[in-house]
Amino acid sequence: MHFALLSPGALVALFSGVALLTAFLYVLKLRRRPFAVPFSPIWQRVLRDKDASQLFSRLKGLLSLLLQLVLVALLVLSLGDPRPAAGAAEGRSVVVLVDTSASMQATDVLPTRLDGAKAKVEELVQGLGVADRMLIAKMDASVLPLTTMTSEPADLRDGLRHLVATDTRGDLRRALAFAGDALRGAPHPEIVVVSDGALDTENATAGLDLSSTPIRFVPVGKSGKNVAITGFSVRRYPLDASRYEVLLEITNTNDAPADVELTLFGDGNIVDVSRLSLKPNERLPRVYGDLGGASRTLEAKIRLPSGPDDLPADDHAYALMPERRRARVEVVTRGNTYLEAALLLDEYLDVTTVAPSAYRPDGAFDVTIFDGVAPEPPAHGGALYLSLPGAGSAAPGAPGRAERSGPVKVGRALTDFGFDTWDRKSPLLRFMAVENVQIARGHVLVPEKGDHVVGASVAGPILVSGRREGRAFVALGFDPRESDLVLRVAWPLFVLNVIHTFAEEDASYLSAYRTGVPWKIPVTGDGAVAFVKDPLGIRHEVPVQDGRAALFGDRAGFYELSVGDDGQKSLFAANLTDPAESHIEPRKELKLGGKTARPVEGFHAGVRRELWVYLIAALALLSVLEWFSYHRRITV
Amino acid sequence: MGMVDFWRKPARAATSRVTASDLFGEGFQAKLESLAIVSRRVFAGRMRAERRSKKKGSGVEFADYREYAPGDDFRFVDWNVYQRFGRLLVRLYEEEEDLSIYFIVDCSASMGFGDGRKFDQARRLAAALAYVGLANLDRVAIIGVSDEVVAQVPSARGKGRIFKLLQFLENLETGGATSLADAVATVVAQHKRRGLAVLVSDLYDPAGFERGINVLRYAKFEPYVVHIVDRKDARPALRGDVHLYDCETGDEREVTVTDALLTRMESAYRDHLADIERFCAKSQVPYFAADVDTPFDELVLRVFRRGGFLR
Repeated sequence: MHFALLSPGALVALFSGVALLTAFLYVLKLRRRPFAVPFSPIWQRVLRDKDASQLFSRLKGLLSLLLQLVLVALLVLSLGDPRPAAGAAEGRSVVVLVDTSASMQATDVLPTRLDGAKAKVEELVQGLGVADRMLIAKMDASVLPLTTMTSEPADLRDGLRHLVATDTRGDLRRALAFAGDALRGAPHPEIVVVSDGALDTENATAGLDLSSTPIRFVPVGKSGKNVAITGFSVRRYPLDASRYEVLLEITNTNDAPADVELTLFGDGNIVDVSRLSLKPNERLPRVYGDLGGASRTLEAKIRLPSGPDDLPADDHAYALMPERRRARVEVVTRGNTYLEAALLLDEYLDVTTVAPSAYRPDGAFDVTIFDGVAPEPPAHGGALYLSLPGAGSAAPGAPGRAERSGPVKVGRALTDFGFDTWDRKSPLLRFMAVENVQIARGHVLVPEKGDHVVGASVAGPILVSGRREGRAFVALGFDPRESDLVLRVAWPLFVLNVIHTFAEEDASYLSAYRTGVPWKIPVTGDGAVAFVKDPLGIRHEVPVQDGRAALFGDRAGFYELSVGDDGQKSLFAANLTDPAESHIEPRKELKLGGKTARPVEGFHAGVRRELWVYLIAALALLSVLEWFSYHRRITV
Repeated sequence: MGMVDFWRKPARAATSRVTASDLFGEGFQAKLESLAIVSRRVFAGRMRAERRSKKKGSGVEFADYREYAPGDDFRFVDWNVYQRFGRLLVRLYEEEEDLSIYFIVDCSASMGFGDGRKFDQARRLAAALAYVGLANLDRVAIIGVSDEVVAQVPSARGKGRIFKLLQFLENLETGGATSLADAVATVVAQHKRRGLAVLVSDLYDPAGFERGINVLRYAKFEPYVVHIVDRKDARPALRGDVHLYDCETGDEREVTVTDALLTRMESAYRDHLADIERFCAKSQVPYFAADVDTPFDELVLRVFRRGGFLR
C-alpha cells in the first residue's frame, strides 16, 4: 500500500488534528430545548430505569464518538489516495492503439466512430486490473502516445479526451512498430487495436517481432455508405492564366449505384453544379475544362440527394491555383519582333526593353532576356541567353576553339541542324514539340559540370540550363530568327516556360497537398522558421530548410504560410483524396500476418483500483448509519 | 431570573384558560339544576338530615355499650345488664346530624399545566357536587390547597349559597407546589366538624399522594378521591433532546425523548394511576378518576352511580 497524494506522515498529522477537533466538538454540550412537565417523579422513575443501563448508554455514546473518528479516518485515508502496491510487476502492459484516421469520422456510430472507440477504450480503462498498466496512443498517418504507461485511470481518461480524428489514413505498421517498442521488456505485453478496420493490413507486421505480444482487436462501426472525392487538382492554362481546368475523381465505395450532386466553388462562389451517376464501386474521373470565375481558391463538394453518407470528411476537397504575380522581365536587345510578340501573349508580364548599351546589371527583374548579347556582370535574376555572342568567330562545320560567352562556352558552329535529343520532362519544354524545328545556323554549347543539357543536336548541346554563382540561366545556341522556331507555337511557349520557371510560377504547380505525408512548401523570404495556420486556425511553427517549410499536415483545407511576423503570406491546400481511407465498410476482424486478432479478454468493469472510491463509499454508508442511529435515538 | 425561570417562560406562555364566564355560565348552571333533579331520582326516599354520623350521641338508634364513668347520664345506664352481669354499662346511640362536605380542590401549578383543562374540570366537578350537596341540605365548604390552604369558603347550607361558591371557584388560581399532607392537615385542624372530604386533585404530590388521604382518614373524615386525569401528561407532543423541568418543583433533567421513552412514560403513568386506585381500594376510600376529556356532567352522574358521595 502506498499513498499517491499525501504522505503517511501528513495523513497522521491531518487525522490527529481533525480527530482532536471532532472530539472537542463531540464533548461540547448541546443546548437543549426547555420543556415543562407537570410531575417530574414519573419521568424520574422512567429515567431511573434508563439509568440502570447507563453503562450501556455510555458505551453507546462512546460508540458514537468512535463512529465519528472512523468517519474522519476514512476521509483522511481517502484524501491520501491509497493504492495497493503489491503485484505492480505482475499485471499486464497494454498499448491501446486508437484509430484516428479519417474513416473514424464516420457517423454510422453516433456521434462518430471515434466517439464509439473512446467508449470502448473507456470500458477497457474501467476493466483494468489492479496491477495492469496501459498506454493509449492515437494511430493515423503518424503515431502519437497520449499517455505514459500508467495505471492511473484519470491519466488514461485525460489522454482519451485528447483523441481527435484527422484527415489522414491510418498507418497500422507504424503504430504496431511503436507499440512493439513501447512494450519491449514489459511484463505480459498486449496490443489492443481499436479501429474500424480500414487499415492496410497486408504488410503491417512484416519485419516486426511481435511473436510474444498478442494483438487484440476491438471493432468499431456499423455500416459503410460512402461516396468520396478521391482526386482533385486544378491548373491554369499556360497561355491564358485567367482560365483553368479541374481534374476531379469521385469514387463510389458502395455496392449500390449512387447519384451525386457536385458543386464547384471558386473563391467561395459557386462556379459549377452538376449531377453524376456512379455505378457500384466506380471511380469516376472527370475533367472540367475552360473554367473561369476564380482566381485563387477552388473547392469541390459532393452531396447525395438520397441523404448524407456516413463519412462527410471526404465529401469536400480543396485546391489552390498558382498565384498570378506579375513577372518583371527585362529584354536587352537591339530589336527582336518575334521576342516582343511572344512576350505580349502573357498579360501578367511587366516587360522593359533596353538597348545593350543602356543595360544596367543592378536592375530588379525576375528574368532578363539577353538577345545576342552577354554583358558582364550578368543580371541578378534568371537569364535567358538567345544566340550567345562570340560564336561567330568559328566557321560553320569547323572545329574551332570554344570561347566563353556569358555563362557557357560557345563551341563550333553548326548549320542546318535541329533538336535530335531533348529532355521531355524539362519544364522548359513543357507543351512543346521541337523535333521538327529547322535551324539554319547556330553553335554548339559547352556545358560545365552541373549544367543540364535540355536539348541537343547530334553535334552537341544547343539548349543548356544551369546556375552560375546562384543565378539561374538558360542558354540557346542559336538565334531563333535563324530557325523556324519563331513561326511555331512552341516559340512563345518556350519563352513563357523559361519566364515562369525563373519567376517560380510553375505550370506544374501542386494545387493541393495530400494529408498524412510530410510536406515541403516553398517559402519566399529568409528565415529559419515559418508559421503555418492550419484549417482549424491553429498556428504552428515549422522549420525552413533549403527554402522550404517542412511540416506534417493532417487536416484537409486551406493553410496559410508566412515567414516571420511580417513576412509575406501564402496559401496552400491539402486534401485527403485517399480511396483506401474512403472505403469505410467496418471490418469485424483484423487479420495480421495470417492470424486473426482475437477480441480483448480480462477487462472486467467494476473492479476499481482507486481505493479512495471504496473509502468514500464506506464513509457514506457509515454516515447513513450514523444518521439513522442518531435520529432513531440509538446512539444518543 | 434564573436559568430555569428563563426556560420556563415558553411553557407558561402556552397556557390558556377558560374564562370565568365560560366556566360557570348559564349553561353550566342549568346543568347543575338537572343534576340535582337526577340525584334526587337516584337517591329517592332519602330525607334531609337523615345521614347518620359516626359520632355517638343522643339519637334513637342503639350503637354500642361502654363502661359507666362518673358524670354519665344515669338515664343511659342499662339496668338489665347490671341485673344480669353486675356491671354498669352505658348505652350509646348514633347521633343524627346534617352532613358536612368539604371539597378540597388542588390549586397547585400542575393543575394549571398546559391549557389548564385539569383545573377547569376540577372546578366544574367541585361546583356540581357542591350544588348537589347544597340541594340535599348538607353543609358544603370548599377549600383551595396547594402546599397550604390558599383559600376557602366557610361551610354553608342551602341552594342559595351556590353563587357564592361559584364565585369562589371562579376566583381560584393555580400556583405553587403540591403538598397534600400539609394542606390537608391544616384543613383538618381548621375544621373540627368531621364529614365527607372530597379531594379533587391530580394527586401530583412529590411527597406521595397517600399522605394527604391518610391525614383525612386518620382525622376521622370520610375521604372521597376525585382524581383529575389528563392523558396528555403521559404522552406529551415531544421529541428530541430537551431539558425537562418540573413546573412545580423546578427539578431539572436532560432527556432525549424517543418513542421508546414515551412508551415507557405511558406505562409508568398507567402504573401511577393503578397505584392510586389500588391504594384507595385498599384503604376503602372511594376513588373516582375524572378524565378531562369527559364532559363534567357525565362525570358527575358516574360519581352518583359509583356511590359513596351521597347515601
